[in-house]
Amino acid sequence: MDMLHGFGGQLLLGAISTVELAAASLVVGTFFGALGCWMQLSGSRVMRGIGYLYAAVIRGVPDLLVVFAIYFGGSLTLATLTGRYVEINTFIAGVVALALSFGAYAAEIARGALLSVPQSQREAARSLGLTRAQALWTVVLPQAARIALAPFGNQSIVLLKQTSIVSIVGADELMRKAAEASGATREPFTMYLAAACIYLVLTGLATLCLEWSERRASRAFGN
Amino acid sequence: MRFDIQTAKSIVHAGCVLAALSLGSAAALAQGNYRIATEGTYAPWSFKDAQGVLQGWDVDIAHALCEKMKAKCEIVAQDWDGIIPGLMARKYDMIVASMAITEQRRQRVDFSDKYKETVSRFVSKKGVPEDVSPAALKGKSIGVQRGSIQATYLSQNYKDSDVKFYDTPQAAELDLVAGRVEYIVGNMVTYFVGFMKTPEAKNFAFVGPDLKGGLLGDGNGIAVRKGDADMLSRVNAALAAIRADGTYDRITAKYFPFKLM
Repeated sequence: MDMLHGFGGQLLLGAISTVELAAASLVVGTFFGALGCWMQLSGSRVMRGIGYLYAAVIRGVPDLLVVFAIYFGGSLTLATLTGRYVEINTFIAGVVALALSFGAYAAEIARGALLSVPQSQREAARSLGLTRAQALWTVVLPQAARIALAPFGNQSIVLLKQTSIVSIVGADELMRKAAEASGATREPFTMYLAAACIYLVLTGLATLCLEWSERRASRAFGN
Repeated sequence: MRFDIQTAKSIVHAGCVLAALSLGSAAALAQGNYRIATEGTYAPWSFKDAQGVLQGWDVDIAHALCEKMKAKCEIVAQDWDGIIPGLMARKYDMIVASMAITEQRRQRVDFSDKYKETVSRFVSKKGVPEDVSPAALKGKSIGVQRGSIQATYLSQNYKDSDVKFYDTPQAAELDLVAGRVEYIVGNMVTYFVGFMKTPEAKNFAFVGPDLKGGLLGDGNGIAVRKGDADMLSRVNAALAAIRADGTYDRITAKYFPFKLM
């Protein structure tokens, strides 16, 4: 800790904030992803259009702009709509921005996974007398989830590192804390190396969780 | 910024109900209650100590101004790239962050009277020629902080040099030491108290004359929202008061062996 000139505590606080941002964004983003996927596969042309537009816009725009749009654009828009100044919470704005981004990729992953389950599985389930919902829930989704797990996990790790862009609107996450520590101590190499180590530990833990889930998901397939 | 706002509007108008979730407390700031932004990674102007407490010349000046304005102030650290958008979005009421007054920034914010002179200097290996004119530095590599006044100055005047942009002044200093750039250019005082005092800087020195004026800014100002005339006159009055009663010089003496204005 001495090597960090007492800034170890600040870096850990930043790491906690990073994990909180990532965890909340993962939950909300998965919801956005499910919603996006459902719209993309919907029977309604309008719904499909909105679903694909969401994915196209978010995937095509730098995440930094999404953060700016939600945080600064959002507060100006709300001020215009309500006629008075509205403070937007940094954490919530960050989570919404990260979740919008994560959701766009998650929607594509989910759509790909659902479409890769052979149509015959659905037909077989239906011919056994299962309702459409039962067929989806008990036959199609478990198989799709297994396919989606690896890319979904991959995207989650990207999300963990992506949290650093929220520092731009004032979130005290790990990269911001490292910048502050290197500004105060003039030892950027030490501070950013420490931050890199913390990121590695976090992504390492996430990878272990993913491997465990993948093993669990493939039990039924005997491999 | 307009693009971002329009994007946000279309997202909101498209029915992104979740934006409504991000409604925090509706903060109508009572008069005499201000929020002030500073940068926070720019020692000795503004930085955070190991306890996470904001320190520095700008922070002390901000506190002194608040005292004269008889206001309760909260000082927040804000990433540089978002510092003007944050002011415009009313996240805080003024920026005390050694911000150079420029024409470009004047279009987006109003500045107080000058509260600090800015002098920029080149730094290079000891013994290089004193001439740092654009002609002399033709083909040479120069490191500079992205978005800084020195970056604009280089882009305009040193078109034949290889200008490299960095997110922080420290990153440019690291590349100077590593030999990836031959020159860096930035705020003289910042170099004086920072980089030049590090062991890595022992083979480096200031080169060329003091650079100021024009693109390099009319000194530093405190930024307030455009049209916030009431705020501006309060800040200017407080500024004049701390200059007159010696508070300003006392704060400066805490950090530097020379005057800043």
